[in-house]
Amino acid sequence: MNEPQPSEIFKERLKTAREQFRKWSQSDLAARAGLPPSSIAHFETGSRKPSFDTLRRLANALEVTTDYLLGRVDDPALAEAGDPLYRDVGKLTGHDREIAKDFLKMLAERSQGKKGG
Amino acid sequence: MTQAFRLKMAKQKAEALLKERNISALPVDPFAIAADSGIEVRGKPDTAVGVSGMLLRHGDNFGILYATHLHNEGFERFSVGHELGHYFLDGHIDHVLPKDGIHESHAGFVSSDPYELEADNFSAGLLMPETLFKRELNRRRPGFETVEHMTGRCRTSLTATAIRCAELSNDALAVIISTGSMIDFCFLSDAMKSLPQLSWLRKGSAVPAGTGTARFNTKPENVRSGERLAQDIDVMEWLGGTRRATVCEEIVGLGRYGKTLTVLSSESIGQDQDDDDQEEDDEATAERWTPRFRR
Repeated sequence: MNEPQPSEIFKERLKTAREQFRKWSQSDLAARAGLPPSSIAHFETGSRKPSFDTLRRLANALEVTTDYLLGRVDDPALAEAGDPLYRDVGKLTGHDREIAKDFLKMLAERSQGKKGG
Repeated sequence: MTQAFRLKMAKQKAEALLKERNISALPVDPFAIAADSGIEVRGKPDTAVGVSGMLLRHGDNFGILYATHLHNEGFERFSVGHELGHYFLDGHIDHVLPKDGIHESHAGFVSSDPYELEADNFSAGLLMPETLFKRELNRRRPGFETVEHMTGRCRTSLTATAIRCAELSNDALAVIISTGSMIDFCFLSDAMKSLPQLSWLRKGSAVPAGTGTARFNTKPENVRSGERLAQDIDVMEWLGGTRRATVCEEIVGLGRYGKTLTVLSSESIGQDQDDDDQEEDDEATAERWTPRFRR
């Protein structure tokens, strides 16, 4: 019943997006994401796990969302909209929870702003 | 991969990041690095205690919230550096991504969670990068005054800076944090570790009775009011071993933090080349003395 780790899903999604959506070679993607050429092979075989920074660079280069690469949505153009991050915020205690919610709302507005602009 | 190696890699990752960004002077500004990476950073209101920091994500946007209730710049900068660690370190996507997009970190932790330790070491490497830190550190005499100087240069907390000094000093240096009669932790520089057959001061063990710190800590007001004391003492009083040597013991009360910082220093211990006959096994020593940074 173990859910796959985000990095497990990531390696499959990365390969799909690169090969099927963009039809790029590994070095094409590396160049566009500003990463060393060998890194894409490492990510796709799972021998290296990405950082959030790398995740974001790859998502930008591939023009998909980080949520797609992490397996949170199945549509590559979609971010996890709807009920984004307010689930499970319950784990934080009182004050922190409110502050985190407000902050996430602000980040969400930023995404909207970007799309609009 | 051993934990000591992973922590070293985390520091090096931070240092590589500075190099990429052509940052070659102290103090390093973690807020500017976050801004430059498109990460929104905001302080929590100073009335909010709770967690020391959080990395948050909404879609492709990232943010860091950090605690401000301690009004301690070094702590805040270290907290932001810690969250940047979660953002920049490989593999942290598996650790810090609960379903709600928030990762929370706790302050002053003694966490044994390897991801948290990695983020701490990233922060130490970011704010106190080895080359810049060493250059400045090793042209000064070892001791508390130098720790204080480095605190000012790096704008980091006294405790985190003291630990980094022990890690990178060419001189014999011991950094000990204690609460009352108990040791919280102790770090030794390589030169100090060269003393033969030291008995290790473990977390939870008693502050050795004959030391200035033991006397200092019998009066809680010394700690609260930030008193300072310095004296010469035989290193064997503190660390046992088989070789007598005089070190300077400097003791500082850390105020409402409730703890005491002790710095032992010597310019002569470990400087001769012929005392390697009784050295500890390097690997075991490295594991045991791997710093756990506190903010």
